[in-house]
Amino acid sequence: MKSRLSKKDNLPLGLSALNILLLVLVVVLMGLPMLNVLAVSLSTQAKSDAPGLVLLPTPPTFEGYTFIWKHTNLPRPFFNTVYVSVVGTVLHVLMASLAGYILCQNKLPFRKAMTTFILLTMTVPYELTMIGIYAVNRDLGLTNTYAGLIINGMVSGFSVFLMRNYFQAIPLSLAESARIDGSGEWRIFSSIYLRLSVSGLMTIGTLELIRRWNNITMTITLISDMKKWTLPVVLRFILFDQTSTSGTSYIFANAKMAAVVMTALPLVVLYFFTQSFFSSGIMIGSVKE
Amino acid sequence: MNKSLGRQLKKYRIFYLMFLPVAVYFIIFTYYPFLRGLIMSFQENRLLGNRPFAGLANYRFVLKDSNFLAAVANSLIIGLWDMVLYFFFSLGFALILNELVHRTVKQTIQTIAYIPYLFSWAVIGGVWVLIFDLQGLVNQFLSIFGTEPIFFLATPDYARPLIIAMGVWRSMGYFALLFTVAIMNIEGQLYEAARIDGASRFMQIRKIILPSLIPTMKTIIVLLSIGVLTHFDEIYVMVNPANRRLISTLLLFVYETGILNFQTGTASAGATLVMAGTLLITGLMRKFIGYDKE
Repeated sequence: MKSRLSKKDNLPLGLSALNILLLVLVVVLMGLPMLNVLAVSLSTQAKSDAPGLVLLPTPPTFEGYTFIWKHTNLPRPFFNTVYVSVVGTVLHVLMASLAGYILCQNKLPFRKAMTTFILLTMTVPYELTMIGIYAVNRDLGLTNTYAGLIINGMVSGFSVFLMRNYFQAIPLSLAESARIDGSGEWRIFSSIYLRLSVSGLMTIGTLELIRRWNNITMTITLISDMKKWTLPVVLRFILFDQTSTSGTSYIFANAKMAAVVMTALPLVVLYFFTQSFFSSGIMIGSVKE
Repeated sequence: MNKSLGRQLKKYRIFYLMFLPVAVYFIIFTYYPFLRGLIMSFQENRLLGNRPFAGLANYRFVLKDSNFLAAVANSLIIGLWDMVLYFFFSLGFALILNELVHRTVKQTIQTIAYIPYLFSWAVIGGVWVLIFDLQGLVNQFLSIFGTEPIFFLATPDYARPLIIAMGVWRSMGYFALLFTVAIMNIEGQLYEAARIDGASRFMQIRKIILPSLIPTMKTIIVLLSIGVLTHFDEIYVMVNPANRRLISTLLLFVYETGILNFQTGTASAGATLVMAGTLLITGLMRKFIGYDKE
């Protein structure tokens, strides 16, 4: 992040103008659809289904939100998602940092083998093993349970290595002197390593929370009981498969878009609170292993 | 030596104990499902009871199944287009964004482009439903030129382009961020030296920025090639009777065959072939770009 841009040369005027034009185009193509969704979600039923582009709802109304919240029983999937995502993320962060801590003990016998053991889990995307995952979870009685959604994905190689990289930046002497003072490993782990890696924990926590909130594949693999579905899966039904959402005859565009916003907005809020951690996480995460 | 190893193990006992939950998790929920799927691909289609082995029958069946073969074609077309477009759009975007001098404007644009990557594919599907509707943003725009409204989501001709564009719209900002981080890490002295040599900004982009991005490009290409055959969520969200033939991918085939219709043997054989295909594509790409050379 060091290059201060003030001393930078500029492109010739023509190219510079083209450059700005392209950027405006990007902003329009990315921003306009999002604005459109937000505006329609805040419009009245009649207005949202009438022809004409809505970019500013006049006057804004929450009737789409109240409709979808009540008539499709949205609270249920909403709180399912909150529950599964939050509990799953807390466990994920704990497990990943635990494993990361162990992998940075450089005198530990078999550390290489343990590292490879975790590295190998990253070679096959889990989507490709969904039939096996389904069969194993069914045998363990985890299909159609929240526990199944929480346990699967409880730790990942990506998060383990990210935490290991954070921990490796902590001087070993700190742990050594604590050991001499008679601290146990749990204490060293929790009161030195975890405390000094808050931004690392925030990074994997945020990434995992987003991943879980958005997950479709795992939910539809493990859960066939609609009552236990999460928001994205229910949202898809609201958008495309109206007949199966609790008998409501027709869902107007404003209510559909309200459901879209309710699924998306928590993540935007989360993003703005944790933004500073993102680039560091991305940088460390993209380092070649 | 052995004695000292024993002593070592004893000394580090606590670490192995701490590692146990993680190891157990990976064995039960990652390694075992992988093996289980592999074994099922050689067994008859049965989820319960004992499953007699069927040799290569599932593979033979899948390779003759027209749905599977259509899925191979769809996956390759959608996956390869997405890979190429993700790469060039995000690289191009990162480069033009870097030419902006104003920092706040730059960060704002970057954030706007990144936000869709935070969203579930179902949310992106919702955006698409709205803007490609008969009265939606896109048709409104086209009507300026006197084009009759097109029902994009139900017209087969647009099925693949819409799915591909959906991916680009969602992911461009993310991959561009990876490039941007790499551009920010370029040493300022390099520009200084180029300036002394009288290199124009355009030359600096070509001779300094692009070559410095090569390691990032390689990493991104490898990341993208792993994903070529694994498009699933966006297909699951967008598939309908009008576009099914053109966009149903391999993983949708695996999901529908195995999870919805309980043809676990057939589905596992399909999944195993997808794994082999992914390995092949990734291997070829790594070799092609010389990823393992340095």
